[in-house]
Amino acid sequence: MRIPNEGGLEMKRRLSYWAAAISATALMAGTTSSWAASDVQSAAAPPEIEIGAIVPSSGPFAEWGKANTITLKMLEDKVNAVGGVNGAKLHIVIYDDGARPAQAANLVRKLADDDKVLAIAGPLTSSAAEVAFPVANQAKLVATSQASSKPGVAANNRPWAFRNTVDEGVLAKSTVPYFKKAFGIRSVAIVYDAKDAVSTAIANRVMPAIVKDNGINIVNGASPISFNTGDIDVSAQVTALKGLNPDGVVIGADYSQAVTVIREMKRQGFVKPVIGGTPLISSAILKAAPDLPIVAPATYYPGVEGEGAANFTKDLTPLLRKGSGLPAGIEPSMYDANIYEIVSMYVDAVRKGGVALQAPKLASDRERIMSYMTGLKGFRGLSGPISFNKDGDAIKAFFVVLGKDGKWTEQVRGCSGPDGKGC
Amino acid sequence: MSTYAAGLSADIGIALLGGLSVYVILATGQLSLGNAAFMAVGAYLASALTVYAGLPLTAALMLAGLASGFLGVLVGFPALRLRGIYLAMATLGFGEMTRSFFLDFAPAGGAGGFRGMGPVSTAYIWAWSASLLVGVVLLERSRLWLEFRAVNDDERAADLIGLNTTAIKVGAFGLGAAIAGVAGGLFAYHQLYIEPGMFGFDRSIEMVLYVVLGGSTVAVGPLLGATLLVLLPEFLRFLADWRLAAFGALLILVLLFRRQGIIDRGMFRGLSRRKWATP
Repeated sequence: MRIPNEGGLEMKRRLSYWAAAISATALMAGTTSSWAASDVQSAAAPPEIEIGAIVPSSGPFAEWGKANTITLKMLEDKVNAVGGVNGAKLHIVIYDDGARPAQAANLVRKLADDDKVLAIAGPLTSSAAEVAFPVANQAKLVATSQASSKPGVAANNRPWAFRNTVDEGVLAKSTVPYFKKAFGIRSVAIVYDAKDAVSTAIANRVMPAIVKDNGINIVNGASPISFNTGDIDVSAQVTALKGLNPDGVVIGADYSQAVTVIREMKRQGFVKPVIGGTPLISSAILKAAPDLPIVAPATYYPGVEGEGAANFTKDLTPLLRKGSGLPAGIEPSMYDANIYEIVSMYVDAVRKGGVALQAPKLASDRERIMSYMTGLKGFRGLSGPISFNKDGDAIKAFFVVLGKDGKWTEQVRGCSGPDGKGC
Repeated sequence: MSTYAAGLSADIGIALLGGLSVYVILATGQLSLGNAAFMAVGAYLASALTVYAGLPLTAALMLAGLASGFLGVLVGFPALRLRGIYLAMATLGFGEMTRSFFLDFAPAGGAGGFRGMGPVSTAYIWAWSASLLVGVVLLERSRLWLEFRAVNDDERAADLIGLNTTAIKVGAFGLGAAIAGVAGGLFAYHQLYIEPGMFGFDRSIEMVLYVVLGGSTVAVGPLLGATLLVLLPEFLRFLADWRLAAFGALLILVLLFRRQGIIDRGMFRGLSRRKWATP
């Protein structure tokens, strides 16, 4: 005899098996068809300048990634509005890596094999670059990071890895003397994001050595105060900092984490000058505590002098402010400028380097881009001429900027070349 | 196969091992949220043994697995006193402790990370993953697995019928940790660079998700979970900014309809019954 309820359960079970099977089949079918569609598309499409970009549009650096995407679309429109380059339109394939190294590495493979790009702009973070650059080297494809500044990341992956950034160690040699002189600093305390590799490198390796070289005492050198990415309550850390009573504070963190520390410093009435690396530069940090002076290095900031930079800021700012998911008063960041310059270099390589833009010659085209980047001299960047050193890092102008009262102002201008020359 | 597809396939192979490491421990009713720590130990040890000591990778992976397994046994003993959410919290703490250790451990590169490993083929990664999957499937058909399940179903009853529940629980921790250690070594050789941030809390959660989504009662469950969790974010790229939101929604939907995971033992039983019923 059949129990009615058992039949219902059996039916329910069967339905759920079918639902699972159909979902899996639909997923795989969707995948196959999208792969097939992209194959058909690439076979029928006219020659284009295919450039890849890896940006973190999701995850902890989403603001930078989304702004990078808008910047790249602006550049694509600008190049194509004048007919492209030698009749070929620019097409930038932009992927989100969520600032996750494994995804960045897979995206390099995807851009190399599936999208058949000439070169890649990105990835943004040093952790992602550490994993993605070896893959680019294997694929013999140029990849240039727009933000990685951890010492030695491109140098370990030559000859295909480049960074349109300046090593934090080089920059700190200019920021620290200015910080000391401008604010009469004799002692500093260090606080840093222990979960982030670049922040830890800045706080534990780069800054302590240069701060000591400048005769500044580190009051907590043996045990710097740490917090973790994503911590929203850093009151204990700031109370400890306040107890040390330093003349200034070294923050090893990107802007999104540093904002939490700076807001807490302001809340506790601990208004002391702050110094850090390039990850501090953002419009958001200026609004956190406008009366608290922040010193950081940058290779571009909104307001930098020069026709190229001024036009870039003027054109990009309204587009960013219209962009979804970005703060209302956002301004272009250094990383927007860097990625704009990177793709502009690739376009210039196509224009000058005899790139064929034909599928059978893709490998030699990629080689030409690498040769162009290696031998680059005096490329007209937004803030001055750019070339690359033997480590693959940019030789370009940089600025020590002071953030106060809601804006960045230039205090020192330098050049990252040997002996400060080459810019 | 394009290098992109090969890269994803390698990711699935490594994720499968991560899932299996949780699955084996979960089979005895213990939830570990610290398996990324065992993976970190395996990753750093396998890398150091090959880069510094010049050991062949296969030997280094075996040693890394053994060392992680030994650490798992050590962690398993204090874990005996804890159950449920308290055990999960304790293993989470162990994970964070291990990550912080590698962050400050200068010989392993500290925050600067560790490099020097050479690339390995996807086939090599899958040789390990498939072998260990087969090993766990065979284990599922053994008397030992029945003892695992008995401890999971009712630890006190298992104790009363004469099973050594301490050895079973600690042994499961050791076995899971050893699999995670091998996964870590393969991960290091697939990524060619490791840093402590790669073995944080989110990695441990991912490893648990492979099991929860794919199925926690059969060894092929983590295989399906790992495949879906690696591929879904890639295949949803056409949704641009909504990609991760859609991914989350899909996960919730699957768990709403299949709380026990997509695959379960009942499904296999149903299939085999139907097979026998066919004339």
